[in-house]
Formats: sequence, structure tokens, C-alpha cells
Amino acid sequence: MNHGKKPLIEAVLAWRNVWKNKRRTVLTLLTIMVGSAMVILFMSLQEGAYDVIIENAVSANSGHIQIHEKGFWEFRSIDYALIPDKRVINALKADPSIAGYTERVHAAGLVANEEASEIVFIQGVDPEMEKRVSSLHKAIRKGGRFLKPGDATQIVIGQTLAENLGVKVGDTLSIISQGFDGSIAGLRDLSIVGIFKCGNPEYDRYLILMPLGRAVETFAMGKYITSIAVRIHEGSLMPEVRERLKNAIHDDRLEIMGWDDLMPEIMQYVVFDRASAYIFYFVLYITVAFGVLNTIQMSVFERTREFGIMLAIGTRPGRILSMVVIESLFICIIGIILGALAGSALSYYFIVSPIDYTEYQKELEVWGFITLTKVPAKLAFSYIIETSLVVFITSMLFTIIPARRAARLKPVEAIRKL
Amino acid sequence: MAIINIQDLVKDYDTNGIAVRALRNVVLTVEKGEFTAIAGPSGSGKTTLLNIIGGLDSPTSGTVHVVGKDLAVLSPKGLSDMRLEKIGFIFQAYNLIPVLTALENVEYILLLQGTGKEERRGRAMRILEEVGLGKEINRRPKELSGGQQQRVAVARAIVSEPELVLADEPTANLDQKTGAGLLDLMHELNHRKNITFIFSTHDRMVMDYAERLISLTDGIIVSDEKKKSRREGAVITKPKKMKSKR
Ligand SMILES: Nc1ncnc2c1ncn2[C@@H]1O[C@H](COP(=O)(O)OP(=O)(O)OP(=O)(O)O)[C@@H](O)[C@H]1O
Ligand SMILES: [Mg+2]
Repeated sequence: MNHGKKPLIEAVLAWRNVWKNKRRTVLTLLTIMVGSAMVILFMSLQEGAYDVIIENAVSANSGHIQIHEKGFWEFRSIDYALIPDKRVINALKADPSIAGYTERVHAAGLVANEEASEIVFIQGVDPEMEKRVSSLHKAIRKGGRFLKPGDATQIVIGQTLAENLGVKVGDTLSIISQGFDGSIAGLRDLSIVGIFKCGNPEYDRYLILMPLGRAVETFAMGKYITSIAVRIHEGSLMPEVRERLKNAIHDDRLEIMGWDDLMPEIMQYVVFDRASAYIFYFVLYITVAFGVLNTIQMSVFERTREFGIMLAIGTRPGRILSMVVIESLFICIIGIILGALAGSALSYYFIVSPIDYTEYQKELEVWGFITLTKVPAKLAFSYIIETSLVVFITSMLFTIIPARRAARLKPVEAIRKL
Repeated sequence: MAIINIQDLVKDYDTNGIAVRALRNVVLTVEKGEFTAIAGPSGSGKTTLLNIIGGLDSPTSGTVHVVGKDLAVLSPKGLSDMRLEKIGFIFQAYNLIPVLTALENVEYILLLQGTGKEERRGRAMRILEEVGLGKEINRRPKELSGGQQQRVAVARAIVSEPELVLADEPTANLDQKTGAGLLDLMHELNHRKNITFIFSTHDRMVMDYAERLISLTDGIIVSDEKKKSRREGAVITKPKKMKSKR
């Protein structure tokens, strides 16, 4: 006789059994739904926050990409310098993803007035080009201003530095450093025109901005500068743009670095935070899978005699196994769809109305986060897919246990159970 | 050829190291078309014997041939398929798949056998009508009385016209009258379709229906007699007459 597979009956039986105990099924669906929705929501919030953190860090000073001579970033020394030649500038101007770039001269030095002296990072910048890359000009405190074209002996300094030196807008400072040629570079009577507070403790504590022309002259750079900072319209495109620039500039002496290498501590924070979140997700996934396991186990246990009879009258064990697996499949798929919808809806809510961290600004600064205010969530299709897949796979793996138990029942023993 | 041939069947159960001999040197042949009762007190081995005949349990020693096949050489799959094709089962109670209707429960066997949809439905409906449940075909088991449920079980057991129907105390959960009705039905089907029935019981009334009565005590066949069924001639011929009138 024909024993052709008729999978439909398993599906029909499974579907009806799913709804036989509605309360239990609804509770299981809720478990799956809440579990996956929570993972999706937390992922969105988290990734949204990372974007803001990275964007803030990038726009504070470094830019998404920096071009400098090999060795500069390691030693931060003025000895490593480059000439911004046509090839470099043309590559930057030609790339449509680039929002702006700015040439800089960096040097370490000592700043002093009558009362105190501090180690500082001096950064020579072109005021107009700088505004297209960094946001320091937006962080100038009341009563001061950013550098502007035509400035020569004017400087802008960080708020902490100003406090440490006991200076305010209008005061003057002197700087001592070493020039490109090895000479001692000294500058006197630099007048403070602005004090910034960007929230990044490093910058607030050590950074001094001065006009680029003046810096080149002071440090005897000639045609040289130390770096070019680049800002991209769409931050996530950084790796592509970096690749394009590498190919276009193609100069072994130069290094084209992304923000992830410029500020490895930020990348580390993101990686670490993501990893700790995954521990939390793992717990959620396991909770969901146990919920499914429990339901299927109960459902199998209650039907011991039923399975015994089915086996006795000639149902092959494989069919029993598929029936239980399909039952779990129905529950998981419905739960996952509900979870994806709920998770997306919740995430969407936090995209539209971002979480406002303004109140926690003080605490966040301690951690080195600069001006986190409104942090919108960020929802990617991949979060939904990833979450759904993991929930699906773990739950189905857990289902195998009761499904196999059902298929391996001995009809004689199973039937004896009333 | 005998439909069942059992030689020197012994079945021991091991409960916590203590061996319980449920069947002792059982020798038994059953011919096609018999309507046989296995009687005996509780614990005498009725269920054990039926389970071994049905390939649900295996002997400790001895040989069992059912419909010409030595059960010892069949694989689990082979046994499963033999049960599906050749044997109908009726248990004491809760025989049916709860989420399926009466009709679907009967169809289930045919579906496993790979019968096409139209034929399946037609045969299942006809059998349910024969067992007197033509109006209840779309009810689920819990919407049927105990007697009706057992009738559906009978319908399911015979729908594929098996060689043999094994029924372990099919009337034990039914009242006297309903039980008698079920036995009438089984007996009638036995005659009309020449299906061999073996059922177990410890109920006098049920034994009276049998045409052959095998008595078990402590796993030993203590008597085996051919006899007249109490209802022979009365109920069985009735449907036949009605049919011929039409
Ligand atoms: N799975 C088992 N494990 C251990 N002993 C068993 C098992 N099944 C049956 N027995 C024993 O085998 C003997 C026969 O049992 P069986 O169930 O065949 O009797 P029965 O005649 O069907 O009784 P009842 O009328 O109560 O249904 C009994 O002593 C019983 O305790
Ligand atoms: Mg019994």
C-alpha cells in the first residue's frame, strides 16, 4: 500500500493542539513576544546611543577620518608632517560623501602666566574650515567667541584649563614649545578670546586653539601641516570613504585613519557595552526558550496516552515527532511575529521621541561622554532578523527534547497512563 | 491458515529485580472469522496476551505468528506498519484523538494508509453510519458519550477492513446496556465482514457473547471452549434481513 508522506495531518493536529489549551498558548506567545520585543527595543536604544556617542566624539574634534604622516598618531610629534598636495586635496574635494575637511598643526607645549603653568595640546586651525569639521565653535561659553579669519595672536582654550590657570576671556598667556626644525618656539601675549566647554574632559583640560597661519609660523612648518581632519555626511559610511581615500591618495607615507583607530577607547566602550548587553539578551533568549520548552513538555505530558494510542494503531514515531515540532513551530512563528511588531513599534516610539539625558549630564561627563542630550533609538531590519532567528533557533532546539520523548514512548506503557 | 499461531509463549516482567511471570507456556491458534473472548480475573494476563498479539509488547520466549508473519523478525517499523494494515485496536476508554472529530478519527487510519481523500471520507462516513453515528460525525470525542466514543473506536478499528481486531476490555467503562449494544455491533461486523475479533473481559455478560471462550488464570490457559453466542441469530440476522428487503 501507498505510505506516501501526508504532512498535512501533522500540521492540522499540531494547529488544533496549539489552541486546545488557549490560556497556556497565549502565555507562551506573550513570553516569546515580550522577550523578542525587549531585545529588539534594547538593541535599538543601545545602537542609537552608540551613534550619538560616536557622532559627538567625532564632531568634538577628531572628525571621522584623519590624514597624517605615518607615526604622527603614535608619537603625536610635530616631527611627522605632510604637505597637503594636490592629490590629497583633490581626493577630498572629489568625494561627495565628505562634508568638509580642515588642515591642522598639532604640537605639545607648556602654557604659563604669572601664577601657573600647564602642559597643553596646541592645535593650529583655519577658523572657517574648522567649523565644517568640528563643533568646538558651538561650545564657546558666553562672553567669548571662536577664532575668526584675520586672527593672529588670539587663542581659544578649554574651560578646565582656564580654571586651572585662573584666567578668563581677555587675559593673555605665553606658550613654549619646540619647532619643526628643533628650535625653541615661544609665543607671548596670546590673548584669550573664547573659552569652550565641550564636555570631553581631555579637550576641556588640555586643548588650545590658535590660528593656523600663526601656528605654522611659530613652529617653523613652512609648507607642512600635521594633519587633515575630515567630516563625512553619513557617519556610518566612514569605512567606505576611508577606503576610497586610501585608493585615491595612494601614498605609503601617509596614514588615513578612521575614528575607530583615532579613538580606540570609544570603540572599546561600544564593543564592551555590546558584549555586556548580549549577556542580558542571552538570559532573555534562554527564558523564552524555557517557556516554549515548558509548554511543549506539558502538552506532550498531558497527551501521553493519546500518543500511545496513536503509536499503537500504526502511527510511525516520526510523525509524532514532526507533530510536536510543528506545534512548537506554530507557537514560535506567531510569537516571533508579534515580538517583531511590538519591538519595532516600541523602537519607533523612541526614534520619534528620543530619550533626553540632559538631566544626567554631570554623571555622564565623568564617563567622558560629551554632551549627550537627546538620544534617539535606531532600528535596523537586521536587529529584528537577528533577534527572531536566535529566538527561533533556541526555542526549536529546546523543543527537540519533548518531541523526541513523545516519539520514543512505548505504546504499552503510554496507554496504561489514564 | 490460522490467523494467530502462538507456541510456548512466556512473558516475564521485571519489577525492581523481581520477575513476574505474566504468561506461562501459552499455546493458542485462532482461525479467521472467530469471535473470541479472553476471560480471567484481574492480573491474569489478558492485556499482556493481547499486547503481544498486537506487536505492542514482545515475548520473553516462544513464537508468535500473526497473519502469517513471525513477529520476532519484524522491525519496529515493520510492526508499526503491520498494526496499521492488518490489525484494528480498541482500548478500554479514551481511544480517540481529542482534537479530531469522529469522522476525522475514523479517517485517520485511512489517511495513514495513504487512501485518497474522496474514498477516505466516503468509507469513514459509511462505517460511522453502520455503527449508528451518522448524525454525530462532526462531533469531537468530548462531545460524545462513552458508548458513542467506543463505537467510533470500533468504526476506526474496522474501517480499513483489517484481518484482526483486538479489543482490551472494550466495554469495561460502559454500563450494561451500552456494553451489550457495543458487543452486538462487534458481533454483527464479525459476521458480515468476516473480521476476526479477540476481546478481553472479566464480565460474565460479555463472555456470553463470545463464540469461543479462553479462560486465563495466572498466565495459564485453563480452559478453551467453542460455544454458541447468546445473541446468535437474534441481532445478527436483523440487519441482513433489512438489507435484503430493500
Ligand atoms: N509493565 C509491567 N510491569 C510489571 N508487571 C506487569 C506489567 N504489566 C503487567 N504486569 C503484571 O503482569 C501480570 C498480568 O497483567 P495484565 O495486565 O496482563 O493482566 P490483566 O489480565 O489484563 O488484568 P486486568 O484485568 O486488571 O486488566 C500482572 O501480575 C501484572 O502485575
Ligand atoms: Mg488488562
